[in-house]
Amino acid sequence: MIEAFRLGAAVGGETLWDGLDLAFGEGEVWVVTGPPSCGKTLLLTTLRGLRPPEAGDVLVGGLSLYRGKRDAAGAFRSLSGIVPECPASPGGDAPEGAGARDRGATVADLFRLSAMALGGMEAKERRQREGELLSLVGLEGRAGETAASGIRERALASLSLSERARVALAAELFRSPQYLFGDMLLANVGRDWTDTLWALFRALAREGRTIILAERTIPSQWPAAKAGGVSSAGPFLILHLGPVPATPGPSSRGEPGNGVVLRGGDGDEPGLPPGGEGEEGA
Amino acid sequence: MTETSLWWIDWTLNGRTMRRESAVRLLLLFIAASGFLVMLLSGGVDRFLAGQWSVTALLAPSVSEEEGRGIAAKIADLPGVAAAEYHTPEAAWKEFIAAFPGLDSIRTASGNPLPGYVEIRLRRDRLTQETLGKLESALKPLPQIEKVLAGGTWMPRVLGLKRWVNAFLWSALGFLGLLLFTVFAVQERSRAVRLSGDFAFLVGRGIAPRGIAWRRAATAALVGGLSSLVALAAAAALLFRLDTRFSWFRKAVGPWEDLLTPALLPGPVLFCLLAALATGAASRMAWRAAVSPRP
Repeated sequence: MIEAFRLGAAVGGETLWDGLDLAFGEGEVWVVTGPPSCGKTLLLTTLRGLRPPEAGDVLVGGLSLYRGKRDAAGAFRSLSGIVPECPASPGGDAPEGAGARDRGATVADLFRLSAMALGGMEAKERRQREGELLSLVGLEGRAGETAASGIRERALASLSLSERARVALAAELFRSPQYLFGDMLLANVGRDWTDTLWALFRALAREGRTIILAERTIPSQWPAAKAGGVSSAGPFLILHLGPVPATPGPSSRGEPGNGVVLRGGDGDEPGLPPGGEGEEGA
Repeated sequence: MTETSLWWIDWTLNGRTMRRESAVRLLLLFIAASGFLVMLLSGGVDRFLAGQWSVTALLAPSVSEEEGRGIAAKIADLPGVAAAEYHTPEAAWKEFIAAFPGLDSIRTASGNPLPGYVEIRLRRDRLTQETLGKLESALKPLPQIEKVLAGGTWMPRVLGLKRWVNAFLWSALGFLGLLLFTVFAVQERSRAVRLSGDFAFLVGRGIAPRGIAWRRAATAALVGGLSSLVALAAAAALLFRLDTRFSWFRKAVGPWEDLLTPALLPGPVLFCLLAALATGAASRMAWRAAVSPRP
């Protein structure tokens, strides 16, 4: 379980949020939404143990990431995965993947990097796992595709945003993380993939994994928790999509209590736009 | 180690650049190794000077050939002496006529005016004013030795100049070493910056930054040591080729087989160690240029 106590963050002397109390349990899917620049990415970074908060603490399994043992945050990150907002994007400003795109790295290179984070893997085993995961996210085994023309040898910079996001997701799943974070993942992969991702996250949650997504909107067709599944904390509205039902629920049109976010924090509408359709990805 | 081991992270992520950089390093190490081996063998200008110049101990006319040989053998055992050869009066006369043809008329009816002498060559690593002084002190009191010719007043100047020239040559080699380190450091830094995003990826997935840094440095040191070994072997092969082909090279630098003597063998070992340390240090220093993961 990931717990945040009295969490506070400030950027450039300006307080973004303060006094957040959060808890993310095992086998649960969470979506954090909020208006632009409210600090969603910052929240994920803090929860991952990469940036000490200005106030409060984050505990994972009862161990503090910032005030306890020195390697606690590193140990937690080895169990977690992150699909960043700009996955190896040519125009992105995230440091991750920047080197990869600059040197024309391919999809296979990203998996090599992921295998390295895992502590190393034999090439044959790596390629097999790559193939399984790329098929899972719809990027391999397409008609007319050969080994040479396949997605693995394509440069990351040549992929569309949706393809990059799915490749990044596959590269994280490669390491079977206990905790999976996604920053604008649903927005990036696009509407066509939201159902697939829901099924995937549901399967991961059944295995006891925790999924935490930061999004601007929630796809309307995602099933919502019962009443009480929505909470607000600071500028965020946090949707709890668990316990995971056996089958997806009926699509919601914004009825209160179904967990679909309609109202935002600071006067904006971070939830569904009128019409109830999710924001389209690239 | 597997294909995706952290130990070979640079080779895995940037193999083409690594191969190119390694080729450049090998070439530079070869140049440095060649210079180093030449300096090690020759001692700068010591070998050349020791080969060109000798001390002459003129013997008294009463010294027989047998006695002369005996004196030469004893002189050869003195510290700092590489060789001592006795030349008979007749041999001295022939050498004189060869140098000054047409002067055979000075040979009188009483015979050869020239005495026998001992030609003394000093060891190239002991070619100093101090060794010279000790030799002269040892030879002059002997009644069999009439005179010691050791270069007169200009020899100390030559020896002094030799020290400066050797210092300059060793400094040049040191400067080349510094240049090599600078090239290594620049290569490592630019690669570390280029891979900083990948390092951030790994740190963000729980790999300790220090672990990445030390593994990279250790691998760099290992590859640097092996490269220097290859460079030394190539330099030694070149030395062998030049040594056996050009006699002037052998005279100036010395026989290549001297490298295998216990006195000189530590030199190449030290070269490899220094090269390994330099590449490892360059990698470690360049790590600071790699960006740590930022939120």
